[in-house]
Amino acid sequence: MAKPAVIVVGADKGGVGKTTVSRTLLDYFNANNVPTRAFDTESPRGTLKRFHPDITEIVDMTATPDQMKIFDTLNTVSPSVTVIDVRAGLMSPSLAALRDIGFLDAAKNGQITFAVFHILGSSIASLDEIAETANFMTGAKYFLVKNFINNTSFFEWDQATYASYFHRIKDATELTIPKLNEMAYEQVEVASVPFLKFVANKGSHDQAANYSFVLRGYVRHWLANVWSEFDRIKLTEIVGSSKMGARSDEK
Amino acid sequence: MTATPVYIVCSPRPQAGKTLVARLLSEFLLLKDGTVVAFDINLKEPSLLDYLPGITETAEIDDTYGKMQLMDRVILDDGIAKVLDLGFHAFDEFFKMSDEIGFLKEAARRNIAPIVLFLASPDRVSARGHELLRQHIPPSQLIVVDNEYVVRGELPLAWARGRLLSIGALPTFLKTYIDRQNFSFTDYLRQEKDSSTELHEWIRKSYLSFRDLDQHLVLLRS
Repeated sequence: MAKPAVIVVGADKGGVGKTTVSRTLLDYFNANNVPTRAFDTESPRGTLKRFHPDITEIVDMTATPDQMKIFDTLNTVSPSVTVIDVRAGLMSPSLAALRDIGFLDAAKNGQITFAVFHILGSSIASLDEIAETANFMTGAKYFLVKNFINNTSFFEWDQATYASYFHRIKDATELTIPKLNEMAYEQVEVASVPFLKFVANKGSHDQAANYSFVLRGYVRHWLANVWSEFDRIKLTEIVGSSKMGARSDEK
Repeated sequence: MTATPVYIVCSPRPQAGKTLVARLLSEFLLLKDGTVVAFDINLKEPSLLDYLPGITETAEIDDTYGKMQLMDRVILDDGIAKVLDLGFHAFDEFFKMSDEIGFLKEAARRNIAPIVLFLASPDRVSARGHELLRQHIPPSQLIVVDNEYVVRGELPLAWARGRLLSIGALPTFLKTYIDRQNFSFTDYLRQEKDSSTELHEWIRKSYLSFRDLDQHLVLLRS
């Protein structure tokens, strides 16, 4: 069985597009035939689960039984890739919990592949979150994500200051999520389907849908740009999967 | 099954003859097929809607809603030819949008045949516009229209190498005559008893050009 891979997607504040990034990751792995499971920590109702109900479970990361559900099964279940959408503001506490249960040591020892997608907020407080996260990143892959999906204006602070925080984490990599047309984004939200299904004009049960061709086109174009970022960082190799044949968007 | 054609009449310059060509083409298609839908994407130029109100709808692509209203109609394989009179102000945005949403690919999937009729004019803006189209539109779907009244024999040689459609220049008095809002090319052909008049010949020649274009496209798609 492949080495288990865990991807944590987190942010220090809400509304920065953390769950959107999680959704693009799940679509990316789906298109690349990488079996994936997901945990949605927005207990009790969940947000990620609305879009990927078949592969997502809602959990409470602060509860031991749910921690066991996630981490005790890493080596025993397939799929081998786990995406955890961490509730806003809980990234540092979640990483601390992972440290306490020995997960980070396992990552450092190469038993598990561990990656963090840190979705950056636009305020200077986000830089402090980078500094906090740095304490947990030994042996892990760290991706700092600038999410422009809703036209956030970032980084009006001094670039040197930003760079000084960014470089505290060894091998940190920047990713950019480009802007998506607002109406297109809204329609996907209303449809409650993965981005991939919206582009394919399908409903939640793969039934034929009637979404706007224009909006589907915008989502397709945007998703291709997002995935080119994931390709750039060789995400499938990171999680230990080789691409099986042509990706579904390349067919 | 024959693809549904979508003719995009365009130029990045005003006063290039777009609406004239759109009118001629719409009336030709109406005569040939009995039905056509035209979309007027113009601001202040002479408007297709004024000439053919019975078959023309206004459209705008300034916002997403406008784009949806237009393109979600244009992409339908309903067997009814579409003519888009694309105002010069909307040239860049329309083709940027088309490229981004994958219009040509989707059209191919849905049995739609987009044809771009590019009204040439001898200036740099027009040259840049043509170059932009050349990079994104397959040669078989990009037709340069030599409107002799505008180009006056100065069509760049490079443009003449691709598929070309010529619209002859009319004397000014006849141009004024056809510019009247109640003038119909088909009605003139039907009502004018003397088929040797200059205008009669001009309309027939224009219609024949469109018929040749239509047949060429049918051959390409078969």
